[in-house]
Amino acid sequence: MNWINWLNTFFTAPARQSGPDSIAHRVGEHLVLSGQGLLYAAVLAIPLGLLIGYTGRGAVAVTALTGVARALPTLGLVTLAVLIAGVGDTAILLPLVALAAPPLLVATVEGIRGTDPELRDAALGTGLTHRQVLFQVCLPLALPALLAGLRTAAVQVIATATVAAYVGLGGLGRYVIDGLATRDFAATLGGALLVVLLAVATQLLFAVLIRYALPRGVRAQRAAAVETGRSS
Amino acid sequence: MIRFDGAAKRHPDGTIAVEGLDLDIPAGRTTVLVGPSGCGKTTILRMVNRMVEPTAGRVLLDGTDVAELPAAKLRRGIGYVIQQAGLFPHRRVIDNIATVPYLLGWDRKKARARAAELLELVGLAPELAKRYPFQLSGGQQQRVGVARALAADPPVLLMDEPFSAVDPVVRAGLQDELLRLQSELNKTVLFVTHDIEEAVRLGDQVVVLREHGHIAQLSDPHTLLTEPADDGVAAFLGRDRGLRGLGLLPARDIAVRPLTDGTRQGGWELRLDAGGRPTGWVEPGLHAQPRPAPAFHPGVDTLRTALDAAILSPAGAAVALDKDGRATGIATREAILAALTGPQPAASKPDSPKPDDPKAGSPNPDSPEGQDERPVNSHGR
Repeated sequence: MNWINWLNTFFTAPARQSGPDSIAHRVGEHLVLSGQGLLYAAVLAIPLGLLIGYTGRGAVAVTALTGVARALPTLGLVTLAVLIAGVGDTAILLPLVALAAPPLLVATVEGIRGTDPELRDAALGTGLTHRQVLFQVCLPLALPALLAGLRTAAVQVIATATVAAYVGLGGLGRYVIDGLATRDFAATLGGALLVVLLAVATQLLFAVLIRYALPRGVRAQRAAAVETGRSS
Repeated sequence: MIRFDGAAKRHPDGTIAVEGLDLDIPAGRTTVLVGPSGCGKTTILRMVNRMVEPTAGRVLLDGTDVAELPAAKLRRGIGYVIQQAGLFPHRRVIDNIATVPYLLGWDRKKARARAAELLELVGLAPELAKRYPFQLSGGQQQRVGVARALAADPPVLLMDEPFSAVDPVVRAGLQDELLRLQSELNKTVLFVTHDIEEAVRLGDQVVVLREHGHIAQLSDPHTLLTEPADDGVAAFLGRDRGLRGLGLLPARDIAVRPLTDGTRQGGWELRLDAGGRPTGWVEPGLHAQPRPAPAFHPGVDTLRTALDAAILSPAGAAVALDKDGRATGIATREAILAALTGPQPAASKPDSPKPDDPKAGSPNPDSPEGQDERPVNSHGR
């Protein structure tokens, strides 16, 4: 039996078409889990990143902390979360947030810090308050960096949400974990493929988002920069 | 009026930027702060809109200590122009200009109408309104920066080396524009530059600063050039002070000999076309090509322009023109230099210098480099 047959078996099995183990249901579970993880990470990391990026205070700590955060083993975190919170959404959301927040934080901080100090000076001197400088000048200009960070985080979260199955939760990880447990390698391969497809789709979605969510001036400037070969 | 009352700025690390400055900036005039880098001129300027808070002393704006006003509110009432214009790259030109009106809560339509007026005022085409800043040249961006500063019609304008990032030709154009605007608007302008040429060109009053914001000299530009307070100021002013000082005196005091008294001068004869415009100098009897006839506009130009024209003329005299370019008379070198000893309205400036005015430092085809080296230093010490 080769891998094409395995995939065929996986995708045509009646259980994949409807019911709790159907592909549509598992993809849905996976997206909800990932979405929640990303949302909580964003709610935590973006405001903090805006503050740190604008004031410049704690930027060094952010760099150091994110280095540490990246070294945390996800599986270990999941286990720890289960021990603390028991089996449930929290058990998986905790590691997902721990995974997604650092890149988002770094992207936000760097995006805001990257805005021209002369421009901020001019904005303040013209009579904008600090809050207005942050939200009307720095944030629009940091949006490309911020969205790029969000994309990185989203892709990582989608790939990692697979471990939810390890603690008995749903999502595409079920196919992988259950497949391994029952030596149903067709399910393992199919599940893994679906995770990859989902991650790629997310990449594409963000590519479109980054293209159309940018302020027009920023977009036009980037386009001009690409045309003339300058870095923007 | 802006008054610095013992204003000082000491940085947290102990270095002193400005110590104990007492200075009055008169309303409705242009005051230029000039000095080498590190003399504290930018710090002084930024104390006015509280971008720098003095560590001692006060800054009074029309009698009110600026520290008593909320910073953002204060700044909305003071125009601020910086070196690289500091335009918002994500906003269109029109919305950049309308920044302060928006902040003041004007409705969008009114704010944009006001911005469109200003675009015209600073000499930019209306179609630039829809552009983004990166689509403009450096000079155009700087004009937008000035328009933004003027949008809410503030009585005070702070300009921190606004023209130093553009090339000399564009800079001269921007300086002319500022002189023209100022003659219409009469703002209280505080202008910072390290360029002494720019300072004497734009200032009604020039403040030469030494380190720590100490005032080395405060005077009108002509007095500054002709009577520097000490050797340090003289060195800062550079060469040819006397000659450059001519650029601050109006040419209208020259005793021009009317053409009705003849068109001959020192063996040369001035030829005119049918409209009365000079076509050149010729030597009667010789059939050589006419030589160019350098000219000046008495009501507009300075003594320096007139003298330059007389030096370049083969007949040793400059042609005086009316505003339509018709010759009205002839001014000899002697007549021009005689104007120096005549009545000297020291503080007066030419009404509107031309863009090719030599003291702009712009390339001028009529005045080769070597010209400035001639020993015509009738005035220096």
